[in-house]
Amino acid sequence: MTEIVERQTEQTRKSFIGQRRTRVEDERLVRGLGRFVDDVDPPRLVHMALVRCPYPRARIVSIDASAARALPGVLEVLLPEDVLERTDPITILRPIPDAPAIMPRALADGEALYEGQPVVSVCAVSRYIAEDAAGLIEVEYEPQPFVVDVLKAIEDDAPILHEHMGTNVVVTNPRGDGDPERGFEESDVVVEDTFSINRVSGLPMETRAILADWTPGVKTLHVRASTQAPHLFRRQLAQSLRLPEADIRVTCDDVGGAFGLKLGIFAEDLLACVHSMDLGRPVKWVEDRMEFFRGATQARESVHQAKLGVSSDGLIVSYTNRYYVDAGAHNSPMGSPMLSSLMFQGPYKFPNGYVERNVVLTNKVPVGAYRGYGQPEGSFVREVLLDRAARKIEMDRLEIRRKNFIRPDDMPWQTIGGAKYDSGDYRACLDMAAETIGYEDVLLRQAEARADGRYVGVGFGCYVEMTGYPGSKFLGKHNAQYGAHEGVVVRANRSGGVDVYTGVPPIGQSTETAFGQVAATVIGLDPGNVRVFAGDTHGTPVNTGSFASRTLIAGSGAIERAGREVREKALRVAAHMLDVPVETLELEDSVITSTQGPRITFEEVALNAFYAHRMPEGELPGLEATAYYDPISNAFAYGTAAAIVEVDPESGEFTLERFLFVHDCGTQVNPLLVEGQLHGGIAQALGAALFEEIVYDQESGQLVNGSMIDYFMPTAADLPRIELGHTEVASPVTPFGVRGIGESGTIPPGAAVANALADALSPFGVDINRLPLTAEYVWRLLAAKQAAR
Amino acid sequence: MKPAPFVYERAGSVEEALAMLQRYEGDARLLAGGQSLVPLLNMRLLMPSAVIDVNDVPGLDEIREEGDEVAIGALTRYSRIEWSPTLVSRLPLLTETVRYVGDRQVRTRGTLGGSLAHADPTGEMPLAAIALGATVVVQSQAGRRAVPAEEFFLGPYYTVLEPEEMVVEVRFPVRRTVSAIAEHARRHGDFAVISVAAVGEPNGDGGWKSVRVALGGVADTPILAVEASALLSGTSLEPDVVARAGEMALAAADPPTDVRASADYRRHLIPIYVRRTLELLQTRRSEGAR
Amino acid sequence: MTETIETVRVSVKVNGEEAVRDVEPRRQLVDFLRHDLGLTGTHVGCEQGVCGMCTVLFDGEPIKSCLMLAPQADGHEITTVESLNGEELHPLQRAFKEHHGLQCGYCTPAMLMTALALGRRGVPLDREQLEEELAGVLCRCTGYQKIYDAVESYLAETAGSGGTA
Repeated sequence: MTEIVERQTEQTRKSFIGQRRTRVEDERLVRGLGRFVDDVDPPRLVHMALVRCPYPRARIVSIDASAARALPGVLEVLLPEDVLERTDPITILRPIPDAPAIMPRALADGEALYEGQPVVSVCAVSRYIAEDAAGLIEVEYEPQPFVVDVLKAIEDDAPILHEHMGTNVVVTNPRGDGDPERGFEESDVVVEDTFSINRVSGLPMETRAILADWTPGVKTLHVRASTQAPHLFRRQLAQSLRLPEADIRVTCDDVGGAFGLKLGIFAEDLLACVHSMDLGRPVKWVEDRMEFFRGATQARESVHQAKLGVSSDGLIVSYTNRYYVDAGAHNSPMGSPMLSSLMFQGPYKFPNGYVERNVVLTNKVPVGAYRGYGQPEGSFVREVLLDRAARKIEMDRLEIRRKNFIRPDDMPWQTIGGAKYDSGDYRACLDMAAETIGYEDVLLRQAEARADGRYVGVGFGCYVEMTGYPGSKFLGKHNAQYGAHEGVVVRANRSGGVDVYTGVPPIGQSTETAFGQVAATVIGLDPGNVRVFAGDTHGTPVNTGSFASRTLIAGSGAIERAGREVREKALRVAAHMLDVPVETLELEDSVITSTQGPRITFEEVALNAFYAHRMPEGELPGLEATAYYDPISNAFAYGTAAAIVEVDPESGEFTLERFLFVHDCGTQVNPLLVEGQLHGGIAQALGAALFEEIVYDQESGQLVNGSMIDYFMPTAADLPRIELGHTEVASPVTPFGVRGIGESGTIPPGAAVANALADALSPFGVDINRLPLTAEYVWRLLAAKQAAR
Repeated sequence: MKPAPFVYERAGSVEEALAMLQRYEGDARLLAGGQSLVPLLNMRLLMPSAVIDVNDVPGLDEIREEGDEVAIGALTRYSRIEWSPTLVSRLPLLTETVRYVGDRQVRTRGTLGGSLAHADPTGEMPLAAIALGATVVVQSQAGRRAVPAEEFFLGPYYTVLEPEEMVVEVRFPVRRTVSAIAEHARRHGDFAVISVAAVGEPNGDGGWKSVRVALGGVADTPILAVEASALLSGTSLEPDVVARAGEMALAAADPPTDVRASADYRRHLIPIYVRRTLELLQTRRSEGAR
Repeated sequence: MTETIETVRVSVKVNGEEAVRDVEPRRQLVDFLRHDLGLTGTHVGCEQGVCGMCTVLFDGEPIKSCLMLAPQADGHEITTVESLNGEELHPLQRAFKEHHGLQCGYCTPAMLMTALALGRRGVPLDREQLEEELAGVLCRCTGYQKIYDAVESYLAETAGSGGTA
């Protein structure tokens, strides 16, 4: 039984939920008046720069910083021995189940394990001079054997990164049901392959950044951070710097994109704080783009050995996926992605399944969270294999999906991966996608084009997405260092408005607008009278942060509760002021009106509540409430992506003619924002599917393309027009019926494009098994087929 | 990612710039548009003692028609080339080529002379200069010399320029030609994986004379496909001739493997892009384009 | 204990106001604007001339201010996003807001400056040309869709008003 969330059903007041509203954030951002970390230059500011290891792995033999120290303008050089004693390893926010924690340190401890790991830190009066000084530091390295390939790293003779572990495999997490091997025996057709998913970067336009400001004597640390979770940031800083939390304030005014990459603290954050504590001056570090590609967590890279068995009538009998995540050299606060396993089943039901996650260390930049958190990878593998199976049994690709979908009346559905789907009509999205893209027409056009020597294909990818967490108890079982809840303070002000305080920082996700719409609806004001103050640990309740497609689910629950308390108190105070029974009162558009006639403004009531001159007996002064909401279950978003491509088989070049995305995120608080979230997620997915890849040279172990010049993030001229459609099945397990929307766009596009390509090239019989889908890759697939003939 | 310190010199004339170059004995860099130089400075891949800013040198950014030539000053910016009515009518390959260069911001600043001096093997302007048979005019305190574009480039980021020399002008012959360019890149405005430019003069009988095919991204420098060009001249670009020209161009190439594409793939693309470019040439002729 | 640093005088008109500072020759124009003049609306994204976050107008044309040294701006005019700011939103800013053409807002000033120059150029553009004109500024949040919409509507509006908005 799934618990059903209690929901106020008697809402007859004006609702702002579902309204297409422009954003309140934009007023500052379009003026260039956002406040990102590097926008703040306090007096006596100094700057940090780092020396980073240039080798994939090297022992640090000696460091000579004398020339740097002698350079005018240099204030401090921190060597490993200066820092390691004074700081504790960085805590892992989301530990990998059953795995040892390999916690990052502020500087390399005797040996650097990846190109880019910080080795020495310098502070100077300008970033220019700090870089001059870094260039003068002489580090003697002794290069060590390394491994930068995930499958080589699991071989017996591979160099071991952390010798005490005796292996590079951090953990193997198996999960299954039924008897997959027997399932394959019983299948009529079995397809299998090894899939390579590319290493990519979340690539926010604002790099990581910190401004650490220690006040000597008073001993307080004020940090401006570019983070998705200021309260977690504060906690981790307190732990690693051995300070009481009370001494640390984290402020996060605006964040220039995060996408999972700005979760938790990193070595550079500790270093900036240590410098500031030593110097008694504010210290700024703004990651440059060269550092970014060598220091900021990367994402996705994994190899999947997957196998799918179906019956001749198209039923999935068995599906297995054993995969190896290339985690880089150590844990990151949120690495490595969990959801390839949890969500491996997707929207289908089948009796036998097995998924096995192997987290493997290599001498590369650590992998962390990135929008999708394992779901794009798992979805790609499953959906591509399903198309292959359909081709083998000569069944239509839509038909095989329809046959295997978990149906609305199957819900709630416990998956093999361990998720419990709340509700959803998966077929409805697929059908809408097929109809909108004109599936039958495309097939006709495909036949005509082929007769003409042209190759057109259409492809689909379906997904179910876990959004939010199924409650804090679940996270406790996983030893996570945070809860599933959000907390808010809702406080009336004396101008008749309401202030909402949240620890969720603005990272582009439009929380201020969406939270405002929810609060206005719950209380009975116009959203213009609600102000959301976000992202400062001073003055906001301890919360979790903006990630895991959970902010609106948990946040709206907290606002709903706190808002209702404020509203009810306002009505009680108004009843006293008007001398009417409270049951006769209604609050709407900032006015409290009694059915008996009298009315009073919310402003007057709030003013009185703060003066407390005329309060009901026993009522305390003030008009505010703090409330937390802990989700009772995940909500699962879902949908279908569809793509049409035309391929030139001679060159391998292809064009993405159309791209369509049909989804269901439950109740849409603001459809304009939903569209924006989807567009962005889809663009990132298409970037990873078509362009982006971080490449390491196998021979030298060096990063090959560590710059914006050589990492092919798509420009405005590289993406197709994105078409959207949606259904709206309210989730029964969340406040207001919302499902998360932040990550959906990233999940199925890769599969849709790959399946469209395979469809276009079906006369050649090519099997796609990696990302990104470059023209060269398509050419190689075709060339291999020709060579085999 | 901030540049290392350097002395900033602002030259008011070519002579002044040349004197400065002489004075720094090869340890100074000329700063024109800065679109290639400044990233290298920022990344500290270059740390010259001095940067000589030539942006204020008067007269270096003129586009002049001189008889059967167009002379373009070294400091002429890409956007200016893209929008120049003279070039649109006289040298349409140049205006078309600019659309493959970087983005609008880069084209506001980047210069023709800077592009040639930077000598990126995938650079589009060097490619067009070779295809059009341009002459690069180079000056030092000892005087001027004119270098044919196809002899100007010696290797990746390496030209015949001596440390004390600078490019002052590029001269393009103007004839009644048709031209075309085609390029394969990983994304819009990115460095070419390969690029092909072709120029030819229509004959009265439907045939072509003086065909020149140049390729970018397939060797240490952009190259003129000499044999292919010779083969094509005097033909009507019949499919079998075009195919043979593609093979000849391939034979002249020695493409690199890098993060954008493998050498194998570049080789595969050469005949395809030669054909496409020549087809485009034919199409333009039949459409009456120049 | 600061270094004795050679500086050069930079005199530049920014958003119509004269500014004079002595700077190190190597100082990037974007650092000069942000940290010497306090105009932090222009952002930094790569310092490699790729992402375009630092786009400003230089004598009316869009440039990447990480690829220009501050001394090069001497005697020239710079226009930044702050030039648009008044009590009411500029029509271009309004178009971005109305079309949800921004999320984190980090690329927005650069997009606005690029679009402002397009509007002033006044040349009609089809969608493909518009995409190419905007390709010099990367955006990781929006997938560009609503940015095109915003710019398209702004350009239509300025074309209607003689291209002077």
